Amino acid sequence: MTDEMLRAPAEVKYADELDYLESIDDGHKPFSWRLSPRMVRTFILGSERSDGLDREIPQKWFGDRTFVERAIVTLASDRGLLLIGDPGTGKSWLAELLAAAICRNSTLVVQGTAGTTEDHIKYSWNVSMVIAKGQSRESMIPSPIMTAMERGMIGRFEELTRATSDVQDALISILSEKYISIPELDADNTVFAKPGFSVIATANSRDRGVNDLSSALKRRFNFVRIPVVTSKKAEADIVRFRTTELLRRHRIELEVAPSLLEVLLQSFADLRAAAASARSDDEKLESALSTAEQIGVLEDAILHSQFFGERELRAETLASSLVGSLARRSPEDLAILNKFWHGVIEPRSKAEQGPWQGFLEGGREALAKLS
Amino acid sequence: MTGTATDDMTGGATGLDAVAAGPFGGLREQLLGAAERFGSGPVAQILAGMVEDVDRALREPLEIFPVCHHSPASATAMVRRLRDKRPKVIYLELCEDLRPLLDELHNCTLPVALQAFAADTDGFPERWAPLSVIAPITEASAEYQAISYALTTSGVELVLVDRSTDHVFQWEPRDAPAGDGGPDGAGEGEDDEAALHGDAVGVEIGDLRPGFAELEEHLLHHGKVRHWSEWWDQYVEQPLVDADYDTYRQVMVLIGSLFRRLRPEGAARTRVDEDRERYMWTRIREHLASSGADPADCLYVCGAFHAASRVPEFGLHGATGFEIGPRTATKWQYGLIPSSHSAIEAQFGLAPGSVSIAAATWKKALQRTGIKPFRLDGRRKGRAKPAQPRPGPVTDRLSGFLTTAPAPHGIDEQELLGWCVDIVRLARKNGYPSSTADAIAVYETSILLAGIRGRRRPTPYDFQDAAVTCIEKDAVPGRRDIARLCEILLGGDRVGAVGYDALPPLARDVLDRLAPLGFDLEKRTIHRALLNLDADPDLRPCSDLLWILRRLVPDAARPIIGTRRLGERSSQESWDVAIGRNMRAIVELGYEGVTVEQVLEQRLRKTVYAPKATAAQALAAVEDSILYLGGRRFTDELGARAVELLAAERTVDDAPEVLRRARRLISYYQATEPELPQWCRSFVTAGYAHYCTLLPTAFADDDAGARQVAAMLGFLLGMESLALSLGCDHTQLELAVQQSHPEAPDKVALLWAAQTQLGLLPLDELRRRCDGLLDNPLVVPSFPLYLSGFVQALEPVPSLASLVVEILSKAFARLPDEVLLPWLPKLITTLKDHAAEMVPVLIREAGRTFPATLAALDAWTPPWSAPPEAPAPPVDAGPAGDLLAANPATCDAVAALLGLPPDWPTGPSDPTGPVAALLADHPATADAVAALLA
Repeated sequence: MTDEMLRAPAEVKYADELDYLESIDDGHKPFSWRLSPRMVRTFILGSERSDGLDREIPQKWFGDRTFVERAIVTLASDRGLLLIGDPGTGKSWLAELLAAAICRNSTLVVQGTAGTTEDHIKYSWNVSMVIAKGQSRESMIPSPIMTAMERGMIGRFEELTRATSDVQDALISILSEKYISIPELDADNTVFAKPGFSVIATANSRDRGVNDLSSALKRRFNFVRIPVVTSKKAEADIVRFRTTELLRRHRIELEVAPSLLEVLLQSFADLRAAAASARSDDEKLESALSTAEQIGVLEDAILHSQFFGERELRAETLASSLVGSLARRSPEDLAILNKFWHGVIEPRSKAEQGPWQGFLEGGREALAKLS
Repeated sequence: MTGTATDDMTGGATGLDAVAAGPFGGLREQLLGAAERFGSGPVAQILAGMVEDVDRALREPLEIFPVCHHSPASATAMVRRLRDKRPKVIYLELCEDLRPLLDELHNCTLPVALQAFAADTDGFPERWAPLSVIAPITEASAEYQAISYALTTSGVELVLVDRSTDHVFQWEPRDAPAGDGGPDGAGEGEDDEAALHGDAVGVEIGDLRPGFAELEEHLLHHGKVRHWSEWWDQYVEQPLVDADYDTYRQVMVLIGSLFRRLRPEGAARTRVDEDRERYMWTRIREHLASSGADPADCLYVCGAFHAASRVPEFGLHGATGFEIGPRTATKWQYGLIPSSHSAIEAQFGLAPGSVSIAAATWKKALQRTGIKPFRLDGRRKGRAKPAQPRPGPVTDRLSGFLTTAPAPHGIDEQELLGWCVDIVRLARKNGYPSSTADAIAVYETSILLAGIRGRRRPTPYDFQDAAVTCIEKDAVPGRRDIARLCEILLGGDRVGAVGYDALPPLARDVLDRLAPLGFDLEKRTIHRALLNLDADPDLRPCSDLLWILRRLVPDAARPIIGTRRLGERSSQESWDVAIGRNMRAIVELGYEGVTVEQVLEQRLRKTVYAPKATAAQALAAVEDSILYLGGRRFTDELGARAVELLAAERTVDDAPEVLRRARRLISYYQATEPELPQWCRSFVTAGYAHYCTLLPTAFADDDAGARQVAAMLGFLLGMESLALSLGCDHTQLELAVQQSHPEAPDKVALLWAAQTQLGLLPLDELRRRCDGLLDNPLVVPSFPLYLSGFVQALEPVPSLASLVVEILSKAFARLPDEVLLPWLPKLITTLKDHAAEMVPVLIREAGRTFPATLAALDAWTPPWSAPPEAPAPPVDAGPAGDLLAANPATCDAVAALLGLPPDWPTGPSDPTGPVAALLADHPATADAVAALLA
C-alpha cells in the first residue's frame, strides 16, 4: 500500500510497529487511546534495551524527551496541544506521529490559511443534496475536526496562526464545551465529542503578530515550544534519516560521504552560533537555519549532482547549494556569508583540509557570482 | 572503563580475605554472581572492589563521616550523629588556612562564601593573577552542622585538614589558566546573583558526581531525569533522608567508591584527589599525635569520594612519609563574601534551583523528623558529653538498601495542591493571565507526568514541567518565566549577607596600606598628600591604591598633580585624600570584595558583561585593568570579551572610539611587550572581518555618519598590514568595498578614497571625477558634501592629503558664493571637532603646496595646473649601467614580469659624465670592489 502513495501517513507507514506495540501494551490507556502514554512515547522516541521489547522500535522524532512527554500528557488532559516553534523544527511530524500512535489516524487535518473559514472547522453543506432532500445530517459535510469529535480521535490544525482570528475562535467552544451544534437542523442537531477527542495545533513562531491567538484560545491550549535542534548528534541522525528516505524516493544511487555531512552540520552549527549572538535581524540570515533547511540544502546538492554533475556529491556543489539557499537578501545575507566564509570556513579549511577546501572554493565562487 | 579498578594499594588478597570474612561477605558474593551473569571481568572487579571499599572505610578506627554537598540527607545524618556521639575533635575537609574565617560565621546570614584572594602572586604564572578561591557554606549542609556544633560546644576542636588555598593553585597544571583547568572554575554568571563568585575557583566539601560524561548521561537517561541533581535527589537523597546512620554511611561510601572506580584511569583530577587524601590523613595523624586526642572521640567529615580512598596513607595506620610542600610567598587575603544559591549552582554546574530545592527538602526534613539542627549564634552552650561507645559491630545494611526499589517520597497531595495554587498566584503577579483552571491543569498534568515517567508521585521537577506546560504560552510577559517562578516557589534564591563586624578586610586593608602616608585617615578631614615617588619609592603602593580609589570612590581621593595614562606615570603626585568622610562608601565596597583590586576587577567584569556593553567600553576596561590592576590574565579576559562584543555589535556608532582606543592599546603593547597579546591579535582580525561585513550596510545606511564610516575605513586600512600578517584576507576587504554602493555624497567621496587606497581607482581618475563634479552645474550644490567626505577620508587615507588640498583650493576658486558660504561654517566645525587628527595633516600639506611668501604667490602656479614636466633625461648609469646592458637577461626578465618594454639606452655611457668624474676623484671604493671581484 505504501508503494502506491507518494508519502504514506505515519499510521500506514508504521502499521506493523503500531500493531506490535498495541499487542504487548498492558499499561493504562486513557479514554479510547489505542496505546498507553508510555507506549506512545516508545513509538515516537524509539525503544531501548531496558524496555525489554522483542523487537526494536526505531526513533522517529529527534528531540528532547521532555517535550514528547509533555505533549502526550497534554493530550491525556482536558486541553488541546499547541506545538510552537521555528519553521522546520518537526512540529507537524511530531503531531502526525502523536495522532497516529494515539488513534491510528493522522489525516484529520485542517490547514490554516488566510482563506480558512469557519466551515472548514465545523461543517458545510452538500448544496445539491440540500436542494434535492433538504438539510439533514446526510447532506452535511463534517469538517475533519468534527469527524475527530464524532469518532473520539485526534484532530489536527496546521499553522493555526495563519487563520484569521474569528476562525481561530471557532475552536474555543469546541475545546471547552466539546460539542458543535447545528442550528440548521431541528433534530439531531448537536455533535458531541467522544472521549479521546483532542486537538493538536501547530503554529510558527516566526509568524507571531500575523494573527495572534486570543487569550481565551491560548487558555485552552497547552503550549509546547519545540526548539531548533542544536545537538549535533541528533541533527546528524535526522539528516541521515531524511536523506536516506529522499534518495529512496527519487531512486538515486549516490553516496553521501560522511565527511561532507559533517561539513554541512558544522557549517550550520557555526551559522546558528553566529545568529544566536546577533543582536538584530540585519545581523542574522533570514533563514531560520532549521534542520529542514539543512535537508533542503543537501537535497538541492544531491539533485544537482545527479542531473547536472558527475553523479557524485562534491564539496563545491554543496557549498554553492548552501550559499544559494541561504543568501536571500542583498547585501545583508551576502555580507554575513562573506564574513562567515572568510572568518570561519577559511581557517577551518586551512586547519582540517579535506572536503573543507573544496567547500571553501565552491562557496567563494558562489558568493562572487552573487555579489 | 575499568577505571582505577586494579587494586594496587591496599593489597588484593588481604583485602579480599577481610571482606569475605566480614559482614559484607554475603553481599560481595551476591554482586560477584551478578557480575558473572554479565560475563565481564572488569564489572566483577568493580563490584567486588566497591564492597571492599565500604568494608575498609567502616573498619577504620577513626570514624569517617562521608558527605555529599548540598545534601539534606547528609545534614540530617550529621545532626543525629553529632547528638549521639558528641565528638571532641572534628576533622573537616576544607582548606586549612580558612579556619579563622569560620569564627566570623556567626555574624553572617547564610549562604556566604569563605574567600581567599591574592592579587599579587608569587610563584605562580603571572597570567593566573588575580587568584581567588571560594568555599560556599549553606545552611542545609552537613559541614555547616559540624561547624556549628564545634563552635557552639565547649571543649570541641574543629580542625580543617585539606590542603591550603595556596596548594590548590600549586597543584594546578601550569599550562592551564587557573580556574579553567580547575575542577570547579566558575562560568560566567548570567545575572547578578549568579556572578557573585566572580571567576574564583570553587572548593566544596563532598563533591560527588560521576567521573565521566557518558556515565552521567547513561544514569540520567535510564533514570528518566534531566539533571544530575534530579537523579541524585530521586535515587540517593530521598531514600536516605530517613535512613539510619549505618545505612547512610554504607550507601554513601558505596556511591563514592562507584564513581571513583569508574573514573578513567590516570585522570589528572584523580591524582590531585589522591594527593589531597594523603594531605588530609597526614594532617589528621599530626594533630592526633600533637594533641593526644583519642581517635574514638574524633569524627572525620569528608566527601564520600574520599571516604572510599585507596591511597596507602589512608587510615590512622596507613603509610607515612607524604611530604607536604611549603606554601609560596603569595600573600593571601581572607574574607567572607555574600553568596547565593544561584551563585553556587552556577559555580559548581548544578541544575538551576537544585540548591534551593535542597534547602526546602532540609526544612521539610526538620519539620517531619523534629530534629533540632545546630545553629551559630555566637554563644558556646553545652559541653561535649563523654563520647558514647562506638556503635556495635558493623552489620551489612547495603544488601537491604540495594534490593529495595527506590521509594521516592515525592510531594504529598496537600503540598502539591498548595504549590499549584501558589504558582498560579505567582504567575498572575508576574503578568501571566493564569487562573484557577490552570491550577487544576497543573495538578493533573503533574500527576500524569509522574505516571509517564514511572514515578508514584510527582517530584518538584515534574511539577515544574507541568507548570511550564500549562501556564507558559508563546511569550513571557514579565521578567521571569514560569521555570524561574517555580524555582522561586520551591525555595527561591537566597542571597546571604556578611555582618558589619565580620566584614572589614577591605576597609582595614585600605587603611593599612595608606598608613605610610602618615595621616589619621579615619578623621573626617581632607588630607593633602605629597608623594615624591622617585625619592621615596616605598610610596608607590600608596599611589597605586589611591588611583584605584579614585576610580572606585572618586570623592575619597582626588589627584591635584599627577596623571596616570597608558605607558605614563608621574614621578610626583599630590592628592586630596578623604577616607574618613567616605568610610561608608569604602565599607560598602567591602561587601563587593576583599580588596579594592578585586572590587575593581568585578566592576570591570560587570561592565563588559552587561547586556548593553559595547566594544569601546570593553576596551576602556582593558585600559583600566592595565593601569590599575596589572594582572595579565584579567586584562586578557577583558580583551577577549572586547573581541566578542565587537563581533556582536551591529551599529557602527562607536567605531571612532573603538579605533582610537584600539590604536592606543596596540601602540602601548608594541612599545612594552615583545609581541601583541592574543586578544589584541584576535581583536584586529575580528575587527577587520567585522567592519568588512558592516561596511556595505554602513555605506548604505542613513543612520551611520561619514565619521563612523571613516573610522571603519581607518580601522580597515590603518591596521590592514597588521591584520594581514595575522591571517586576514585582503579579498574580503576588496569584496566589501565592491559591495558598497553609497548614495550620500560624503560617503561616495569616502568610498572613492578607499578605492584609491586599495588601487581600485587611480588617482588621476579620482581627480578627473572631482573636476567633473565641479564642471557639472547640477552637482555643484552638493560638492561641499563631497569635500566633507574627502576631509574625513584624511584619517583612513592620509596619502590623499595633497589631493584634498587641491580639491579644497579648487572649491574655493570655483564654487559660487551661494554654495560656498553656507558650507564654510560646517567645514570649520568639522575641522574643529577633529582638530587633533586632521588639521595637522592638512596644514602640513598646504604648507608644502603653497608658497611661503606673498611675493612668491604672484608667480606661483598650482602644481595641478602646471603643464606636465618633460620626462627627465635618462640618468647616466655609469659602469653599473654598462654591466647591466652587457648582461641584460635579469633586467629583461624583471621587465617582462612587470609588463614593461625591455628598452635599453643605446651606446656606451659617457666616460666623462659626472659619475665617472666622481669615481675618478674617489677611486678607493671602486678599487676595493675590483680587488674583491678579481
